[in-house]
Amino acid sequence: MPLPSSDELARLLRFRDAGHGFDEFGFHPPTLGKSLKVVRHLYERYFRVQSHGAHHIPREGGGVIAANHSGTLPLDGVMLVLDVLANTDPRRLARPVFDLFVPRLPFVGTFFARCGGVSGTRGNFRRLLEAGELVSVFPEGVPGVAKTFWHRYQLQGWRVGHVELAIRHRVPVIPAAIIGAEEQWPLLARFDSFKLFGAPYLPIPATPFPLPVRYRIHYGEPIPFHEEHPPEASDDPAIVAAGAARVKAAVAALISNGLREREGIF
Amino acid sequence: MRAVLVTGSTTPIGAALIRSLLEAPEVERVLAVGIELDPGTDLPLGNAGLTYHRVDLTRERHVRRLIFGPVREAGVDAVVHTALHRSAHDQGKAVHRLNVEATRSLLHLCERHPTVRRFIYRSFAEVYRHDHEHPSLIGEGEPLELRPDVPQRVRDRVEADLTVCTRMGMSPLQICVLRVAEILAPQSGSQLWDWLASPVCLRPLGFDPMVNLISADDAARAVVLALRTDAQGVFNVPGRDTLPLSKVVELWHRLDVPAPGPLLRPLYWIRRLAIGTDFRYRLNEGRLHTSDLLDGARAREVLGYEPLRSIDWPSNGTGGS
Repeated sequence: MPLPSSDELARLLRFRDAGHGFDEFGFHPPTLGKSLKVVRHLYERYFRVQSHGAHHIPREGGGVIAANHSGTLPLDGVMLVLDVLANTDPRRLARPVFDLFVPRLPFVGTFFARCGGVSGTRGNFRRLLEAGELVSVFPEGVPGVAKTFWHRYQLQGWRVGHVELAIRHRVPVIPAAIIGAEEQWPLLARFDSFKLFGAPYLPIPATPFPLPVRYRIHYGEPIPFHEEHPPEASDDPAIVAAGAARVKAAVAALISNGLREREGIF
Repeated sequence: MRAVLVTGSTTPIGAALIRSLLEAPEVERVLAVGIELDPGTDLPLGNAGLTYHRVDLTRERHVRRLIFGPVREAGVDAVVHTALHRSAHDQGKAVHRLNVEATRSLLHLCERHPTVRRFIYRSFAEVYRHDHEHPSLIGEGEPLELRPDVPQRVRDRVEADLTVCTRMGMSPLQICVLRVAEILAPQSGSQLWDWLASPVCLRPLGFDPMVNLISADDAARAVVLALRTDAQGVFNVPGRDTLPLSKVVELWHRLDVPAPGPLLRPLYWIRRLAIGTDFRYRLNEGRLHTSDLLDGARAREVLGYEPLRSIDWPSNGTGGS
């Protein structure tokens, strides 16, 4: 299914206008539409994204897509959002939940917000799930996107908050593996002491631009934590940790299968 | 409620509230309190149900005379306290006396009063701390701005808010604190109003936070709804208009000029020296960078409040209210 045109976008997406064409997080469909004109070339021609298992994405209601994270710059997040947009009917926007330092970045924070991104506070996450939105998260966080080439496809520390909130707000978690991004822009080194505007590090990539690797995005079967546990279980650290470990294992299995099936990086 | 005392009656929210109360069938009398000799034309002083009392709330003896005089005679059962110092630049003990001590004193006198049963305190969205790590929608439980270096304007508002909050459950009164979004109007202490008074609005380059604005009518309606219930506690009261700061400038027909953040403090200092405005960059630095909107879920569920009326955006370059 092709990506929608920018004109179609506002009509196709379920958009909660807070009164002036923006939602309460600053999402502005026309800005996403304009951005789509540019990034669709990355999706369709540069990274030539192949999608597998998109039927696992819920057609309606809330849900959390949890994926591996990599690539020096979070282009994998952009491709994941576009892939969900391209392969859902009715169209769905997987609101990307980004790290807390992102809103401090000039231009970047505002641009992400206009395109549907949301700062990853517990309150924002809760609000989205209560509103029946689909959200995409990268439980590896910054250590994932900052992993070096030698650590590709090795899942880093795995946060647990997405499972806690999925249980509490009665939504499934959809594991996803993004194959290709981990080779797109090999990271040679990083300066952790460089913290301008709260950025966690300064990346030193091996190439001036991301390589035109082929992305393959695999979605796994939804994990119905909300059917297995009552809402109160979200306060049980053991249940939440076990759930997060299960999501991590599911993503690792999807990565493993995806790597086995692919014939080449490009 | 049969009779209501409203302080800060000459402010936009005070005047709107008095008009709403006079239209409410269950209200027989409204006692309006202000510091001005002439309350102006905003108050319908010709209405038989309204009396205006000129009282300096920083003088406890005057307040006592009001509370145990006209208030007792009128059988006032609810007090709405909205009076606060408006200027961001004035500082010192006198300002603190009005912002905090007058609130404390009024509350204590009402607790000893034979007829007053309900106390509504109009607080501000400014009491919350601006932080990128907080949710975009601020609930009532989010941290307050208690950092030691905040300007007196904010510190006083937080202290007054907490002064009232600490009496909840201990006081014989039913206490309600309404943290109201910014009213974009003159004489309301709105920093944004003053910011928009200039033909050129400088804001930090690369940042365009969302803001929420409330009309005086919606703010007044929230108070009336709070008066009609027995609900106690803290309630956020957001407005109908949620939009980016750049859009506010555009709708106000001003020139939006993003400038590098480090230049803004000296530029606004020069602006204040040149044209003597009330806008203080230091007070607003947080919200010129961070989206902080009030989450009105609790007010919706408990008080039945929904923002209905957009603010009056100007149709030309003259500004509006």
